[in-house]
Amino acid sequence: MKDKLIDLVNISKSYDGVTILDEMNLYIRENEFLTLLGPSGCGKTTTLRIMGGFENPDHGRVFFNGNDITDLPPNKRQLNTVFQKYALFPHMSIAENIAFGLKIKGKTQAYINDKIKYALKLVNLDGYENRYPGILSGGQQQRIAIARAIVNEPKVLLLDEPLGALDLKLRQSMQYELMRLKEELGITFVYVTHDQEEALTMSDTIVVMNQGYIQQIGTPESIYNEPQNAFVADFIGDSNIIDAIMIRDKQVKILGVPFDCVDVGFGSNKPVDVVIRPEDVELVKPKNGQITGRVTSLIFKGVHYEMDVEANGYSWLVHSTRAAQVGAEVGLYVEPENIQIMKKPESEDEEATAVEE
Amino acid sequence: MKKLLKRIYMALIVVLLYAPILTLVVLSFNSSKSRAKWGGFTTKWYASLFDSQEIMGALYTTLIISLLAALLATVIGTLGALGMQHMRSKTRSAFMGVTNIPMLNSEIVMGVSLMLLFIMGRVSLGFGTILIAHITFNIPYVILSVMPKLKQTSRYTYEAALDLGATPFYAFRKTILPDIMPGIFSGFLLAFTMSLDDFVVTYFTKGPGVDTLSTKIYSEVRKGIKPEIYALSTLMFLTVLILLMLINLTPSKIDEKELIKDAKFLEKYGRKRLFTKRIVMGRLLPGMLVLVLTIGGVYYGSGGSFTEDKTVVVYNWGEYIDPEVLEMFEEETGIHVIYEEFETNEIMYPKIKAGAVSYDVVCPSDYMIRKMIDNDLLQPINFDHIPNISNIGKQYMETSEQFDPGNQYSIPYCWGTVGILYNKTMVDEPITSWKILWESKYKDNILMQDSVRDAFMVGLKYQGYSLNSTNIQELQEAEQLLENQKPLVQAYVVDQVRDKMIGNEAALGVIYSGEAIYTQKENPDLEYVVPDEGSNVWIDSWVIPKDAKHVKNAELFLNFLCRPDIALMNFDYITYSTPNEAARELIEDPEIRNSQIAFPDESILERCETYSYLGPEAEEIYSQLWNQVKGS
Repeated sequence: MKDKLIDLVNISKSYDGVTILDEMNLYIRENEFLTLLGPSGCGKTTTLRIMGGFENPDHGRVFFNGNDITDLPPNKRQLNTVFQKYALFPHMSIAENIAFGLKIKGKTQAYINDKIKYALKLVNLDGYENRYPGILSGGQQQRIAIARAIVNEPKVLLLDEPLGALDLKLRQSMQYELMRLKEELGITFVYVTHDQEEALTMSDTIVVMNQGYIQQIGTPESIYNEPQNAFVADFIGDSNIIDAIMIRDKQVKILGVPFDCVDVGFGSNKPVDVVIRPEDVELVKPKNGQITGRVTSLIFKGVHYEMDVEANGYSWLVHSTRAAQVGAEVGLYVEPENIQIMKKPESEDEEATAVEE
Repeated sequence: MKKLLKRIYMALIVVLLYAPILTLVVLSFNSSKSRAKWGGFTTKWYASLFDSQEIMGALYTTLIISLLAALLATVIGTLGALGMQHMRSKTRSAFMGVTNIPMLNSEIVMGVSLMLLFIMGRVSLGFGTILIAHITFNIPYVILSVMPKLKQTSRYTYEAALDLGATPFYAFRKTILPDIMPGIFSGFLLAFTMSLDDFVVTYFTKGPGVDTLSTKIYSEVRKGIKPEIYALSTLMFLTVLILLMLINLTPSKIDEKELIKDAKFLEKYGRKRLFTKRIVMGRLLPGMLVLVLTIGGVYYGSGGSFTEDKTVVVYNWGEYIDPEVLEMFEEETGIHVIYEEFETNEIMYPKIKAGAVSYDVVCPSDYMIRKMIDNDLLQPINFDHIPNISNIGKQYMETSEQFDPGNQYSIPYCWGTVGILYNKTMVDEPITSWKILWESKYKDNILMQDSVRDAFMVGLKYQGYSLNSTNIQELQEAEQLLENQKPLVQAYVVDQVRDKMIGNEAALGVIYSGEAIYTQKENPDLEYVVPDEGSNVWIDSWVIPKDAKHVKNAELFLNFLCRPDIALMNFDYITYSTPNEAARELIEDPEIRNSQIAFPDESILERCETYSYLGPEAEEIYSQLWNQVKGS
């Protein structure tokens, strides 16, 4: 139990009769970089706001270090939040913004000045003490917001899509900056984003959420490589998700063609979903392919080419460093360990709830 | 060409909008009292305005009420807006609609309903009720100017402050308050302006002795417009104009650009300069203006502080007492007189009946006193405390018994008859009968009283009936007579009989004897006669309402009024006959002392009757028949 820093138990929340979270259970370990990932409206921000104390759950309890903090107001929690819209105080200088929490805690001016200097250095904005938020760029404002939060030495930093408003280049450099900060400070980060790439880059643990339910919890690798359902597979990266029939253990019939695979325990002659990542589909000569098809589109993406290959009535998405011309006949080959088998959900509802850790 | 037309159009609009106000401003500097001619530039009306204790007192009340109402409404309205901001959008729009109603609602409906509420709640009308009413109509304005600012504030800065350990109040003070401050401030100014301006609601919710500038102006104008009022109106217009300009100057929304502008400004010049720019120019200056106005008002108005139990509340007809008498009473007794006026018995009655204001002494007419006795609104007067009652002539006490059997409730104050005033140069025959009012040769030269009872009195008496007749046949006869007379009548008027007769604008007029004495002074061609068929004799008497709070003071006041020298002063001022025999002895001019108009001999009085209260059914019949006459 000791390594559960934050523990959410049976959390439910609804607004105006619409369920946002339903009986959610989640814990966050000390010093973990945990990301809540999902499309908008999946309940990730609500989860974060419940941790921060800005929302009260309808049911369930929130524990922090083993203490029930469900009814504790936000100003009494040992957490600090970095908001999506920065939420800097426009009437105060940068130094005053950063000093805000420390002043409330009654720290000495010398201590506060030290902290301001330290925090500004940490976010690479030394010398900005006397500026005002209005003229800073988005990235600078976000870094000030982070500085303002971390000077309070929180146990946990909650970040609500902090990079959402930044452009791509800035977002990427801020991602590295955040990871560096996390290393230097050694505190727990709970990060909310809808950007799967951001989640895969930064996290120790990713929690994929949809419609108020946790879909999958795992490391970036396991989430990417072994999605447990079609939603996760679809949401994380590009995928070929194809209806198939499990013939027996280690053999699956995809689009009428039997493929070897590594999965067992799905029964025999049972309908399943298979997930094959586009970079796992190898382009080979037609005679060497397990299945043959014709290239219908070709786009250059920088590190690889993206192709659509029409084969046995399914349009396969293929990533490859080699290009095949549109109209060319190609063979497709997939290694057995790159075929991910998933049980078919029996209903819509189950689609959302299917996964438990 | 098109541009020129546009300009002309604009100019026309501005001229139409401001021409009346410009006229007012020009007149306020006109040294001639006449509206029609320019007598040169002067500021003397402004000077005499500032000398007037009454107007300065009203200014003081206005400012105090406006300031307090605006402050309280700002606090309540801001809190309300905060609450509404956190409602669901449906509930919020419902609430917004409800708060907007007082703004869209007709002011008179608002005034009347507030008055009814206060009366029902047994709250006595006065300073407090005006204040509450003003707060009520100010709140929507505050909400309306705070709400948009609140919508622009980010919830996140508030949450960020909480997150950093601030208590909710501290977080509010540091994040939301600075953002909505311009809205709060312009709401305050707007509320202040609205209060300053208000007449209708104030009129309905005010009590005796409390006047704001607007109600003061109204009551002054009723007596005739004085140039000081132009000066006062000009000053009020300018004040409101300046306040509104300041409200419009405060920035209406916070946007990115402005934040950047602020930030740049801050970096360049530091906090102090932004403070100067924003706070001093935008907030402090109008704030100071309000403060200066208030302090000025307090300075000028702080003449009349008095303790509650040393007052007497007097409710009297307009211009029905010598103001010096009031001053002398205050000096001699140390009792402060709160003085309020009414125009007709019918306006006075519901106010007493509602009990919203407890008056200590009231001066109704005979038939109304009967009605008030019947409705248990009066208390018997303890005549042991009013020794000067002995100065009142016996015959008047006897006549009073017609409406006050046993002389328990009333002390006669003024009395008179109703008769015909005629111009000797236009009428050469002697008048002995009401019949002359039906002579066709005086077509368009006859003035009738525009009141039911007085008009029917003429018709009934002409026929030899009682003026209190409830016999339907007699009344219908009188109605027919009045209808026949109508083509001959120049106008049905009240106060203008006096002025028109003085100005030789008519030959004959039905008039009260008191007015007749005055007109004779102004125009010696006028003569007054009470026709042989008899007429109305009326008595206005002082009474003490049942819920009077200062009965002792009321008794002192009444005893004072019965003193011969005081009664004489009032007689000289009002010119209506006094029932005070001792006062009559003091009249120096024998012509007046023995005037048949002022003090007719008893033979005339014997022919006359007082009106009596006829009851609602008869009143209904009278007013129906009167409408027939007027509508024919």
